[in-house]
Amino acid sequence: MPGTPRTWAALLALAAVAGLVFTGTSTYDFAQYLDRQVHGLHCSFLPGLGSVDVTGASGCHVTLMSPYSSVLRQALWGGIPMSLLGMGTFALLLYRALLVLLHRGGAERPALQATFALSLVPVATSIVMGVIALQVLDAACKLCIGTYGASALAFVGALGAMLSAGRPQAALDDDDADPTPAPTGALAPRLGMATVQLGIFNLLPVAAWAAMSPAHERYIGTCGELTDPADKHGVLIDLGGQGTPAVEVLDPLCPSCKGFEQRLDASGQGALLDRQLLLFPLDATCNWMVSSSLHPGACTVSEAMLCAGGDARAVLDWAFERQEEIRTATAEDPEAAARMVLAAFPQVEGCLGKPAVRSKLNQSLRWAVKNQLPVLTPQLFVDGRRVCDADTDLGLDYTLARMLAPAATEGAP
Amino acid sequence: MNSPTSPALALGVGAACALLPTGLATAWILSAQGRLEAAEASEADTPVAATAAVADEGYCTPELRKVLRRVLTSCGLVGADGAAGRGCQPADAAAVATLAGGDFNALFLPLADRAAIVQFEKNEAALGAEDSALVDKVFAERGGASWFLVVARSSPEGSVAHNRALSEQRARAITDHIHATFPDPELDQQVGLLWLGEEYAQLGADFCGWQRSGGVDACTTDDLNRSAFMAWIDCRL
Repeated sequence: MPGTPRTWAALLALAAVAGLVFTGTSTYDFAQYLDRQVHGLHCSFLPGLGSVDVTGASGCHVTLMSPYSSVLRQALWGGIPMSLLGMGTFALLLYRALLVLLHRGGAERPALQATFALSLVPVATSIVMGVIALQVLDAACKLCIGTYGASALAFVGALGAMLSAGRPQAALDDDDADPTPAPTGALAPRLGMATVQLGIFNLLPVAAWAAMSPAHERYIGTCGELTDPADKHGVLIDLGGQGTPAVEVLDPLCPSCKGFEQRLDASGQGALLDRQLLLFPLDATCNWMVSSSLHPGACTVSEAMLCAGGDARAVLDWAFERQEEIRTATAEDPEAAARMVLAAFPQVEGCLGKPAVRSKLNQSLRWAVKNQLPVLTPQLFVDGRRVCDADTDLGLDYTLARMLAPAATEGAP
Repeated sequence: MNSPTSPALALGVGAACALLPTGLATAWILSAQGRLEAAEASEADTPVAATAAVADEGYCTPELRKVLRRVLTSCGLVGADGAAGRGCQPADAAAVATLAGGDFNALFLPLADRAAIVQFEKNEAALGAEDSALVDKVFAERGGASWFLVVARSSPEGSVAHNRALSEQRARAITDHIHATFPDPELDQQVGLLWLGEEYAQLGADFCGWQRSGGVDACTTDDLNRSAFMAWIDCRL
């Protein structure tokens, strides 16, 4: 292996710093949301140098708001961000790289082997998170990709340092000849020490995060309630489930609604709800409450859901998968959404666009008027109480766990 | 020279590296906490999303609102007098509108894109297929409107009493069709009926360009007034 352990350790240190920058920026963006407000994200391969993304449609936003961006979400509002764990791990790799650099003769091979083992942690995590991002979220997050790259580079640096260890220094450095091979030691204790260090480097920031996070419980149940929940016109669509009654207010072509559904399903708490859906398309062709069509085609897809009866959920899932395609096509050709719906669900032909279903969709919007709902999606009402907007993304698991707690207690023997 | 790092230096570097993410995370969280407290302190300044509401379009002039309120009140749609759907007869309409017929019609001119005229056969009050389709189309295009007005008329042939009855039948034909096609327990609180017979606010030829059944050529003033004018009204009262 060419080079010395110190050369490779320099590469490892560089990778660790890069990893710290990427995961640190992700963690910073995550922490911003703890103030319950809306923020732009630093979605760039050069964090801090690019402009802040405020569209809410970037891959970084999708990833950050996904149920996979943090752990322990029910215990803590937002949970512990995965990127914070990444910061701890990269900080440890930086520490171990600096030790090699400060150790004039390189480091002991077992220590470098332990460092190499540590470098597998971000690599394995990157592989898992990368697959989730591409396969589940269908999102490419630049900060995440930067982290994956830093992980790969750290792996190469740690591998190179390990393989180059134990070579006679004289063969490598004429100016500082020292024929003594780098000392060796037992691997197991070094691995044990590395594991302990990994725990310390991660537990410290996690403990600080958990201890210092703002209290969000006091906001639960303070964001309004349904004033007239009766469904006289049969506009609520049954999404299944048993348990506490819940009404979701969704637009089938709204990216935030898609993310919200993914979070609700991933949380496992959706199964504790008797879920009903109110269609609220943010499309001016049927919704007079919006001045322009934020989501062109949403009225047509909503009609298709009302026409589909028991297959409404299938239409919703289909629309979630093709949101951008439907919106883009309908913006160019207003009839495109109808063509796409009919190609996928021919059974709604004869209903779609007809006065009866248009009138029913209108009644759906009027249900929102009767209950004086805010003109936005998504919204969730649990047992008539509105989940605050700030709690529908990162804080969803935490909030639902507490809103459902009384019901769970009542059901207990 | 193979000199190990001094324990103190190693410990110092380790502490610095370990505390770096901890310190940054703490700083960011405290910053968020500060913004949260500041936002709570200035809650009144926080922008909130609009609340869902029925439409109130620009054509809802004070004059139109005044007439609409009078008509809807007197015709039993508004208020708790239990007379929902009662409708207004010609004398009622003229009295409550307190407008000349031409001025009454002029109030609805801004509704050219929202309204339609169902034209009936002479001395008939039955809807044909084309008429029903037009009613369905107009009624389904409700948007954010709160009130659906049906204003039926008759041409001057025949007696005044007969034409009053005929225009009422025409108005009822429209609402019966709507009831059958769009079942809604609240419909009677939304649909206002006026039957004007031949006595008040006859339509002029300038309404030929409006959306209507009956064919392009059937547009004499008699054709236009054997009719029911209908429109959703996007006004809040």
